[in-house]
Amino acid sequence: MMSVIRGIIIAYLVTFCVAQEATKNVSFKTGNDLAVLRFEGWDISDPLTEFLTEELRETIRELDIFQVQDRGITNEVNIYYPRTKDYWACWSQECAVDLGRRLNVNYVIAGNIQKKEDNEFLINGRLFSVDMETLINEFAMNSSGITDSLLLEMKKMAYNVSGLPVPDTLSVGTDTSQVMTTDNIERKKDWFKLPPIPTKIKALLMSTALPGSGQIWVHRKYPGYGFMGTEATLGVAALIAYYQYNKAWGGFEKNYNAYQNGSDPHNLIELRPRVIEYASDTRKYNAFMKNIRSVASSIWIVNMVHAYLVAPSDDFFDGEYFFDLEYKPDVNQFQFNINF
Amino acid sequence: MSTSSNSISIFSYIRISIRYIVLSSLILILSCEEAEYELDNPYDPANMDLDPPALFFHPPEINATMNDTISVELYGLELGPAAAAQLRIRYEYEALEVDYVEAGPFFTGDNDPIEIVDEPSDGTLDIFIYYLPDMNSDQNEGGTWSIATVHFITKQIRGSALEWVQDSTRLRDENNLPVNIKDFGDGWVNVE
Repeated sequence: MMSVIRGIIIAYLVTFCVAQEATKNVSFKTGNDLAVLRFEGWDISDPLTEFLTEELRETIRELDIFQVQDRGITNEVNIYYPRTKDYWACWSQECAVDLGRRLNVNYVIAGNIQKKEDNEFLINGRLFSVDMETLINEFAMNSSGITDSLLLEMKKMAYNVSGLPVPDTLSVGTDTSQVMTTDNIERKKDWFKLPPIPTKIKALLMSTALPGSGQIWVHRKYPGYGFMGTEATLGVAALIAYYQYNKAWGGFEKNYNAYQNGSDPHNLIELRPRVIEYASDTRKYNAFMKNIRSVASSIWIVNMVHAYLVAPSDDFFDGEYFFDLEYKPDVNQFQFNINF
Repeated sequence: MSTSSNSISIFSYIRISIRYIVLSSLILILSCEEAEYELDNPYDPANMDLDPPALFFHPPEINATMNDTISVELYGLELGPAAAAQLRIRYEYEALEVDYVEAGPFFTGDNDPIEIVDEPSDGTLDIFIYYLPDMNSDQNEGGTWSIATVHFITKQIRGSALEWVQDSTRLRDENNLPVNIKDFGDGWVNVE
């Protein structure tokens, strides 16, 4: 009886151990694509909010834990929420997970920056997992400074989000007396860094190089594939026409040379209609290719314009860009603004 | 300062874009070569001003020196099917001497044709050629072919016309019916 009980206990222990081992092998694999939604600004200006959001994005990107989605693409949620600039008020889990799915990322950060009193700011941020449909972490930071101090706080938040310890250079007081510390923050050295390209220009360049690619890049997949497919079809048609043209041209050259150098009337009378037929074929296929070229180039241009139009526009007053062409509904006209 | 550098970079992008678009457009504008031709070969029967079906000398003009052997083909242009032919031509007997005559491919089927050559008078050559029937046909299919080739030897420095004697030049089909000949093209031999 004792041995039976002992056996049961041993079997139970072995099973438990094996079970422990088994659970170690199971892992939930997920990507690390992250979208930082534009923070909501309460009593602070739009450009400053955008600037701080971008600072958070850049710092997280530099920490290299997450693959941070480009600002232009993230802001493209405008496409899904056509109401102007209300998309960043995405504070709930459902909203963030929904946007994360639409943006095709694994994580989403949403947040807000509130101005409490003079030079008193509260920064709230939430990290959501889209795959697990859950709120992973919530951050809140106080800042008693203005821009530079807020920048520091955003950097700290980036470290928190990435799960890394905040370096000493950032762990100083947050009052305005520490403004100069921002100069000491070590950034990754970029030996060669291209200046930022506006999303619209990037989409335009991509669609110029490969029709439809700009649209696909800005998540307008159907028009993108449409343009790509149309151009590819026209390209194949042009290739077939070119092959036929080449064949006809080869026949023409061969027969025309034989005709020019021939002296036997019997051969010449047979070569004459062949020369005429092959020449007619080359003209026919050449005309066909010209038509295809016209159609393809028209579609190409339309595709470029379309890519430019559907690409999300960047906020040109966030300190990166120089000019802005913006429609003002209140005065019902377009305005061209220059930022000095 | 940063604003101006950014503005420069944006304009440089625009410049690159314009350059790229211009290059792409150039590639699109380029087209393949059009086939240009002139069917002006002098030996092409279509350039001989003959109304087919016709008989002509090929080549129509020959330059030769003394004691040369020259060859002239008696050619049929778009002739109907025929079984036999009598070809009578006239030439300057003081300038040219008939060396020999050979049958061309017009009457050659499975068998070689029968050929009889006669010179009824000075400067006149009669050639009789007959299609030798085979298992498939009693006549040829017609068309544009050489009927016979006459080889001359040049005797004197002078020119000689080569002419068809139209009354005595005829073609017959397998039923001994005449084959239509609408036009005749003469030739010329220039001995220098």
